[in-house]
Amino acid sequence: MSQLVIENVSKAFGTQQVLRDCGLAVDKGSVVTLLGPSGCGKTTLLRSIAGFLVPDAGRILVNGQDISHLPPNRRDVGYVFQNYALFPHLTIRENIGYGLKIRRKPKALIRGKVEDALGLIALTDFGDRYPKQLSGGQQQRVAIARSLVLEPEVLLLDEPFNALDAQLRLSMQIELRKLIDRVGITSIFVTHDQQEAMTLSDRIAIMRGGRIEQLGTPLEIYDHPQTPFVADFIGRANLIPVAIRSGRTDSPQPIAAAVPDGPGTLVVRPENLTIAEGPGPGWEGSVGFATALGATIEYEIDRGVGEPLRAILPRQPGVAPLTPGSRVTARIRDEAAAILLSGSPRP
Amino acid sequence: MTDAVLTQPRRLGFARRVIDGGGLWPAVPALVYLVLFMVLPIITLLTFGFVTIDRGAITDGGFTLTHIAGVLGDPLVWNLMWRSFWIAVVSTCLTLVLAYPIAYAYGHLKGVWRTLLLVAIISPLLTSALVRTYAWIVILGGRRGLLNQTLLSLGVIDQPLQILNTSTAVVMGMTQIHLPFMILPLLAVLSERDRRFEEASLNLGASQVETFFRVTIPMTMPAIVAGFALVFAVSYTNFIIPQLLGGGNYSTLAVQVYEQTIVVLDWSRGAALATLLLTTCFAFVLAIVSVGGRLTRWSEVRR
Repeated sequence: MSQLVIENVSKAFGTQQVLRDCGLAVDKGSVVTLLGPSGCGKTTLLRSIAGFLVPDAGRILVNGQDISHLPPNRRDVGYVFQNYALFPHLTIRENIGYGLKIRRKPKALIRGKVEDALGLIALTDFGDRYPKQLSGGQQQRVAIARSLVLEPEVLLLDEPFNALDAQLRLSMQIELRKLIDRVGITSIFVTHDQQEAMTLSDRIAIMRGGRIEQLGTPLEIYDHPQTPFVADFIGRANLIPVAIRSGRTDSPQPIAAAVPDGPGTLVVRPENLTIAEGPGPGWEGSVGFATALGATIEYEIDRGVGEPLRAILPRQPGVAPLTPGSRVTARIRDEAAAILLSGSPRP
Repeated sequence: MTDAVLTQPRRLGFARRVIDGGGLWPAVPALVYLVLFMVLPIITLLTFGFVTIDRGAITDGGFTLTHIAGVLGDPLVWNLMWRSFWIAVVSTCLTLVLAYPIAYAYGHLKGVWRTLLLVAIISPLLTSALVRTYAWIVILGGRRGLLNQTLLSLGVIDQPLQILNTSTAVVMGMTQIHLPFMILPLLAVLSERDRRFEEASLNLGASQVETFFRVTIPMTMPAIVAGFALVFAVSYTNFIIPQLLGGGNYSTLAVQVYEQTIVVLDWSRGAALATLLLTTCFAFVLAIVSVGGRLTRWSEVRR
């Protein structure tokens, strides 16, 4: 049975509908990321689970028990804030022990748990400092420890890496994922960074306009996006508008279609395009820009109409990249990996 | 992490440093004004306590400690100082207890209600403190005062309450009149505060009440200390309110300064009393600030 279930949750702020019929089930111990552009409702959904907001409709269940009507302090749900919200007037030890103290646990037990938590986040020597005296990464670990000592059923994290600089981010993401696996806690992340979502999650829920547009493992979503929006948001993709007639696309390189006739979108990852010099069967255009990235070269190919195609090709040592302006033809390398969706690229 | 780089002192030439002046130049007009019209008069006043003045002129005796010694040796002065002190403490505590909820409410109100509350807080400052003190006489005064009339006609009491001309009246008046000075510093901090700290507290299992006492109040402690010190100082040294609401036979240290200087025309004793009033006031405020500093040590820490 899923540990956390969100059923048809909707929420409006005034006339603005922020969440529309969101549904999600999260298994015990798994990590789900709510991913989407700003304003898609991901933080609102997270705040609804924590109880900071009351949804207009729908239910939220933890271990089968409806918690929708409970105030935030009666929900067994940890929340890590974007700015960590460590109490500035309390030391690191007092911050971590805050929840236990509120629960009136014996002093010795609090001391033991706080020390364990400090050890877990490798900050034992920092216990008597104030939050301001710690770096962003350290503060984040304290914020997580402060929630984890209470052994909540679910841990919610609102863009926890936003305040960290780019170099620190990836290593903290891996650290955090390891920590979560060690503790075995069900976690929900909110982020707008697709790389972060890919690194951290067992499953990703792509949100858009208050709805969950697609839910799946990172690779499922990467390989089988169900909408052009998802295709574009996870990884990079060429979205080529096509028309589907009698089971085939009308594109220069026709693709067999399993979707009904009408307008369609051909989703091609840049690494699945190959380029040949001169005219030929495929999308003809001229090289607009070439970026050598070491192991690969990225080309931008202007076709005269629509958005330029992006292709990423392995670089062969000793072979000079194509110069801008060269006439080329782009083809899909592996037709099986091309995705055809019905509907135009940007509805 | 980047702070250290940003705050590294720039090396300036001597001329540039003078022109730069450490940013003091814009403060010069205010400093000149304060020195001319506050620092110098205070020094003059304090000197009067150490010389003997007769018919508006300093007599030949020169420097003397007799006036200060006279004041310090007078048990009445110590009694009045004690009264000034406890009245100021009680009134400041009441002011804090009344001001905090108002400032807190302000942070939770929106739109027109917020504006109305702000107007209500500030509007008393538009009338003089003297007028507001007289208003308290109208409310508290005698059998025909508003309070007694109302309570008598409602049958709550049989005999009129004797509040005017007591310390109670002085405390009541002071509390109301100094309320804005407490609300305003609290309001600034409470309305700007980051609610996520309170949400974090709720999330960690604390109730609204626990959150208020364990997070909201401690985090606004710097403003509480500032407001407390400010209101204590103005309450301790106020002479109009005790004079008018305390009645003819009522006195505090500040009232004594006024009477000795203006009524008795003993400028030397008045100045000696003023010296005592000012130094004790400074000492109390320093005490408040140092205790407050301990409570708010967390706000001073740096990486």
